[in-house]
This record gives sequence, C-alpha cells and structure tokens, in this order.
Amino acid sequence: MQGIGLLKGMFVTIQEFFRKPVTEEYPDVMPDLGDRFRGGTIKLKTSKCISCGICMNSCPNGSIKLTSVRDENNKRHLSTYVHDSGLCLYCNLCIESCPVKCIDWTNEFAFSGYSREDLIFDCIDLAKKRGYDVPEVKATPEAGEKG
Amino acid sequence: MQTQKYELNMGPQHPSTHGVLRILLELDGEIVVKATPIIGYLHRGIEKICENKTYVQTIPFTDRMDYLAAMGNNLGISQAIEKLMGVTVPERAEYIRVIMAELSRIASHMICIGSLVMDIGGVTGFTFCIRDREEILELFNRACGARMTFNYIRVGGVSQDLPEGWVDACWKFVNNFDKVMETYNNLIVGNEIVQLRLKDIAILSAERAIAMSATGAVLRASGVDYDVRKADPYGIYDRFDFDVPLGQKGDNWDRFMLRFYEMEQSVRIIKQALEQMPEGPVMAKVPKVIKPPAGEVYHRVENAKGEIGFYVVSDGTTKPYRWHARRAAMVNLQLLDELCHGNKLGDVVAILGTLDPVLGEVDC
Repeated sequence: MQGIGLLKGMFVTIQEFFRKPVTEEYPDVMPDLGDRFRGGTIKLKTSKCISCGICMNSCPNGSIKLTSVRDENNKRHLSTYVHDSGLCLYCNLCIESCPVKCIDWTNEFAFSGYSREDLIFDCIDLAKKRGYDVPEVKATPEAGEKG
Repeated sequence: MQTQKYELNMGPQHPSTHGVLRILLELDGEIVVKATPIIGYLHRGIEKICENKTYVQTIPFTDRMDYLAAMGNNLGISQAIEKLMGVTVPERAEYIRVIMAELSRIASHMICIGSLVMDIGGVTGFTFCIRDREEILELFNRACGARMTFNYIRVGGVSQDLPEGWVDACWKFVNNFDKVMETYNNLIVGNEIVQLRLKDIAILSAERAIAMSATGAVLRASGVDYDVRKADPYGIYDRFDFDVPLGQKGDNWDRFMLRFYEMEQSVRIIKQALEQMPEGPVMAKVPKVIKPPAGEVYHRVENAKGEIGFYVVSDGTTKPYRWHARRAAMVNLQLLDELCHGNKLGDVVAILGTLDPVLGEVDC
C-alpha cells in the first residue's frame, strides 16, 4: 500500500525525538579532540631546537621558514622561526621528522583573522609569550644564513 | 506550435552539484537533450605539484583529491610507491590499512546516500547519514589526529599505531551497524517517494558502462562483476571473505542500493580484519630519503568512487618524474550526458547523485 513507507519513516524520526541529542554545543562547550589532534600552529621548544631545518625541508607546502646563525664553535642557533598556518596542510610531516622532537601542535581548534598575515605566526615569539620554553635566542644578525 | 531548445546553466554554486561542478543543460521544455559537465573550477594542478615534491610529500595532496574517502587515496599512492621500491609492509599495518580504507568507504557512501536523498527532497535522511558518519570521523581523529585529511597511510605502513581503546570503539561501531542499516531501511529505502524518484530512471547498460570505463558502484549496478579487490587483489584483500554486490538493471535505484550493500560488505571485512589483526610493528624499515630505482609503476585500488589508479614514474631521484592519478569520479562523470539524455530536469540531480562525483577528485 502506498504511504506505509512514509509512515515508517516518520516513526523512525519520532523515535529519535526521545533520544539524547548528538549535537555539540560548540562555542560554549569545546569538543574533545583527542591527544593526536593536529591543529593550531607550531609549539616550539626553542632551547631544544638544533636549527637543522629538517622540518622546513619536509614541509610539502613551504609553510615553515627558519633561519639560524652559527656561533664561534660552528654551532647553529635559531634566529627566526615562522609558521604560516595559512599554507599549512596539517600533514604532521614536520613534527614526525624533527630529530629532537622540539615541535608539536598548539592544538587550537579554530583561527580567525582579518587578513592572511594574521595566520602567520612567529613561533619563537609565541613560545616566549605562552611560556612553552625558556628561550635562548641570539639577536638576528645581518646575514642570517638559512638553516 | 513552434518551439525551440534553450540552454540552462546549473552550477557551479548549485548545492546539488556536490562541489563546484557546472552543467550546461540543453533543454527541450523540461526534457534534457544534452548535459555537458564543465569541470575545472577546483583544479589545483595536483599532478604537477606532486612532480615537484618528494615521494612522501605527495601523500597529503592525495587527501585533497577524494576528500570523502581519503584513506583509499593514501593507500593507493603508498602502495604504488612501495611497489616501485619493493617494500614489504608489516602485517599489522596491512590490517590497519584495510580497516581504515573500508571505514572510509562507508563514510563516503553515507555521504553519497545522504546527499542524494537530500537532493531529491528528503533532508531528514541526510542528517541521519551525517550523524552516523561522525562516528567514523571520530575514529579517524583518534587514530591520526585529522577528520578528513589524514595523511595516515604512509610508504611502508601507517604513521602511528592505533591508540588504546580504538579497537573497542571500532567494534562498537561495526556491531551497532545493523541498527544503523535498519534505520536507513525504514527511513530512506522504504520511502515511496525516493523509490518513485529513482526506479527505472537513467538505465545504464552493461555494454555502455564498460565502453565508458565506468568503475565502482556505477559499473557494478549494471551487473558487471568487477571489483579491484577481487579482480586484482592488493594488500591483503585476498584473505577476506566478502561478496561483490551487483545490480540488475543499472538504473538510479540500483546504483543507490548498491551503496547500501557495499557498506554491509565493508562491515564484514572490518569485522574479519579486527578479529585477525596481529600485534607488531606498523612501519617497515624505509629509508628517510626515499629514492626509488628508475622505473614506472601503475597501481590501482578500489576506492569508494571506483577504481583509483596511480601512475608514478621514477628517474632515480627523490622526486617523481611523472605522477598521474586515474580518478574514478572523473571517468564516471562522463556518463552524465548519456544518462541525462531524455530525462526530466529534476532527474539530473538524482543522476548526478548516483554517479557520486567528488569535485576534488574530478578536477584534481
């Protein structure tokens, strides 16, 4: 008989009416994203970083730019570390490739800004501000060589 | 009375075109005379981009092709590179790959069914599909930290082992799947309006489906028994017991129902894989800098939309010399004109829904 299927469907939706809601109250209640969530920008531990530049080379989109300077013992020191999260694919390749594991995600869920520049983060500055690590960074030299 | 044909532009911002597909319709009253898909609005030049990346860096770009079933794309390119290098993947990684690829297929089919039902007027069905798909996305998020663009399956295995409690959560999902299917059966399949809208419309014969190189559910709905998982088993698919569901007529209804049957079969595979999954490493010993020997490889896998194939040519350096993807959605979309011909304007969205194109994959 025509119409039985429609009534059955309506019965399904009526049953749903008495169930627990599955929607999340997003802005009020932040969702639990799990510990492997990839998001935000790069949380950099500046004192651990050896400025090898492997993260920069492993990035498929060139979203990480770092420069370093060599001291008198020929040891590299990080001078700038910029993450352009607007270009970032969040593929995790940089974090996996880091030999000293000094980078991780900050795990923010959403970014917003009025311009693209708002999505570019100076990770050394961010680490200082948010206290991810005690930074020991030398001032930017004139000829900051590439890592 | 003298009449004349007229052209109607559908898309690229039309919600039922599943992205940014533009269809130029030539209409005779309400009857479609010709439907020309105009593609390229989402073209990013992924093939060319990938030729300038290292082999591992190409994997995240495949996530952006068929973004509704990205695990299948990851699997395809990873296995292609492995074939080129001659890498053997650890057992546990193979099982994880199968589970992920099948979960991805279910998630993609849920979107296909849901959006098709929504396009023909039943928004309620869509919300149910989206709700159930959320559980799969949550499983993916727990395993690899992303809900859509995973970059999880890598050359030599998978990037990380499954977290604690993941297998139990997956069991919970597959054991609960019968109930999900029952809900769909009562709500969507049993609905007479859906049946009337889809049955006996846009019949595709087996000969034409083969001639147009259709793959996936579109081909099988016409009764052609061809599934890469059976025809040319890759990975460990030969170990699982599953059926390849076939349609009889090749109309919209068959293509629609085949997705339901395929979801059931995918759950069967996941159950077997979860039972058989051994402990052990999830990554083979792969050099940090991947330099496959010079040569070429074509590897194909059965993804949610159909057969996705990767053709990779290596010249012995760290970057591929040629990187090409045979995208199922792109090939299946070419049937649009043939299927729309002679049908009503309102059926175009239903036909497009059953062809299930994803514009990320069509435009690449």
